Amino acid sequence: MLFKKFSFYFAIAGMAGCIWLVLELRKTPPRPAPLQEPARSPYANTVAATGIIEAVRENVKIAAPKGGLIQKVHVQVGAHVNAGDPLLQLDDREMRASVKAMQAQLEAMQASLRSEKVLAADAADQFRRTDNLEKQKVASEDERTRKKFTVENMEARVAKTEADIQSAAAQVELARTNLEILTVRAPREGTILQLNVREGEYAGTTPTEPLMILGDTAHFQIRADVDEQNAPLVAPNEPAVAFLKGDTKNPIPLRFIRIEPFVVPKRSLTGDTAERVDTRVLQIIFELDRPQTPLYVGQQMDVFIQRPAGNQSAH
Amino acid sequence: MLLGDRSKYLMLVGGLTFAALLMTQQCGVFIGLLSWTTSHMRNMRASIWVVDPKVEQINEIKAMRDTDVNRVRSVSAVAYAVPLYAGILQARVADGSFKPVQIIGLDATTLVGRPPRILAGRLEDLRLPNTVMIDELAVTRLSLDPKRPLRIGDSFEINDREARVIGICRTDRHFFGYPYVYTTYEQALQFAPPTRKMLSMVLAEPAAGFTAEQAARQIEGETHLKAYTEAEFSASTLRWFFRNTGIPASFGTTILLGFIVGVAIAGQTFYSFVLENLRHLGALKAMGASNALLGRMLLLQAFTVGLIGYGLGVGLTVLFGMVVMRTGQPPFLLPYQLPLATLVVILLICSLAALLGIRKIYKLEPAVVFRG
Repeated sequence: MLFKKFSFYFAIAGMAGCIWLVLELRKTPPRPAPLQEPARSPYANTVAATGIIEAVRENVKIAAPKGGLIQKVHVQVGAHVNAGDPLLQLDDREMRASVKAMQAQLEAMQASLRSEKVLAADAADQFRRTDNLEKQKVASEDERTRKKFTVENMEARVAKTEADIQSAAAQVELARTNLEILTVRAPREGTILQLNVREGEYAGTTPTEPLMILGDTAHFQIRADVDEQNAPLVAPNEPAVAFLKGDTKNPIPLRFIRIEPFVVPKRSLTGDTAERVDTRVLQIIFELDRPQTPLYVGQQMDVFIQRPAGNQSAH
Repeated sequence: MLLGDRSKYLMLVGGLTFAALLMTQQCGVFIGLLSWTTSHMRNMRASIWVVDPKVEQINEIKAMRDTDVNRVRSVSAVAYAVPLYAGILQARVADGSFKPVQIIGLDATTLVGRPPRILAGRLEDLRLPNTVMIDELAVTRLSLDPKRPLRIGDSFEINDREARVIGICRTDRHFFGYPYVYTTYEQALQFAPPTRKMLSMVLAEPAAGFTAEQAARQIEGETHLKAYTEAEFSASTLRWFFRNTGIPASFGTTILLGFIVGVAIAGQTFYSFVLENLRHLGALKAMGASNALLGRMLLLQAFTVGLIGYGLGVGLTVLFGMVVMRTGQPPFLLPYQLPLATLVVILLICSLAALLGIRKIYKLEPAVVFRG
């Protein structure tokens, strides 16, 4: 009897346990909401794109006019420069020495010109006196003619020296220009965005990376990449907004500037040295007003471009 | 009568208990194993899953182009869409041994698809460089010394890159038994060996006014990618496993065996019990009990035994389930339909067994009592 009682109660317990286990195993956690509100398009019909911030009037990659050792870097990253400000000084010792040598040569020539001018004046004076004597029949004609030739000879020598001086002055000017070239100057106003060289390094004429990048950080533009399969959906002059990666609360309004007429291979933005090309993208340029949040050249953005109603997918 | 016969009672209850246990537990393991095939979908939650058009199940993913995220975003019925990387990579533990891990790369800004249950640490810390969040299985797999498990701040290597643990989460087990390692999408691309296409899936949410199905169909129409809702992807994955693996067949055999064993033991025992008690039944019949009354008596006894056997069998399954809940192994799941179905089957077995006895009673001559 005892056994039957037990089996009966165990059976009841088993069924109760079963109900409990079913309820327990049904418990699944709810779907977690996004940790941060994702970027959403404000438009009913959208073309989405990935944008990258760049300076208006594309960035300038500064190069050296000739190879040479870098003697001095005049600017730091982030420095604002005006057009003509010196950026880099290449090694100019040799050029300076040669300017000095040319200058000395020029001065020597100018000195000899002065002495030759004195000799010429002396010869002219002797000729004048001999000419008077010859008129009074005191000196011979032969003597007068010889004096005259001496004067002409001296005048020719002065003229030659003067021509030599002009040539030497041109040489000095050339050497000065060569010296001036060794100072790399800013071609226009802007901010130094990147600096890749330090004093003592060698600046090649065909470097793998630019010596420095000069750009205008006061005005930014956005280059938005649209997959070529979505290219037919893009219409010019449509409004657009952009969201910074990591800041999906503040949409930044964009103004259409132009569609780049040339479709380019998409560049992978993983930062890997070996670029992986997987598709081509249509690039659209937008301008924007600087928002409160800081922006930096090279930052990625999610861009949503309004699609005109009825502009359906090509598929 | 039956309850008075201890050996018969034991035999009957034991057989039915065994049948109920075999059917419930094996079905539970089977359903649990099937649920492991879709564990991705519970560890990364999203309304719509966009994949390559040829992808049928979630464990086999063909990568897409990076720009496909923007193509999905361009669909009007989509509120937002984020990229996801899923791949199996080799993790190297400090002693040099290699363990495969399932890497999940979440969108860094929104962390959509994040694990629902976080045990320690903050998921936001994934935005720090070289960080990962690991699940409990990874803690045991990747720890050198069981006495000193992997903690927040410890690091190991994935594909020769440092991975620093910033948190521990609880996940549903991977079908292949790999631990889950969560990181950001960009970080996952750094861990993964570079290939031409890296984007595994796009997770999307329908815009207001659209159901997930409508949004999925619109994505398919405009992008020619494949878009599944959660339910569709689960069903498609299960269909794939039914078609391409022997798992359903092997479990089906076990379940059928449980049924046959139950029927054989219960039927035989009950029939022999009826035979042995034929004299008593005959006496009752001679006293004027109708066939229907005797039939109901037998049915009542059969059902009582059946319910007790069922209760014990299910109780043993519950004990098994409790062990599973503690260890997470082996696979086990108990939807409410399963114990109900078992109850029906057990009562069916009992009815069959009782029917055999009832047939005998109908044929019984009351005079048999006096032949003795």
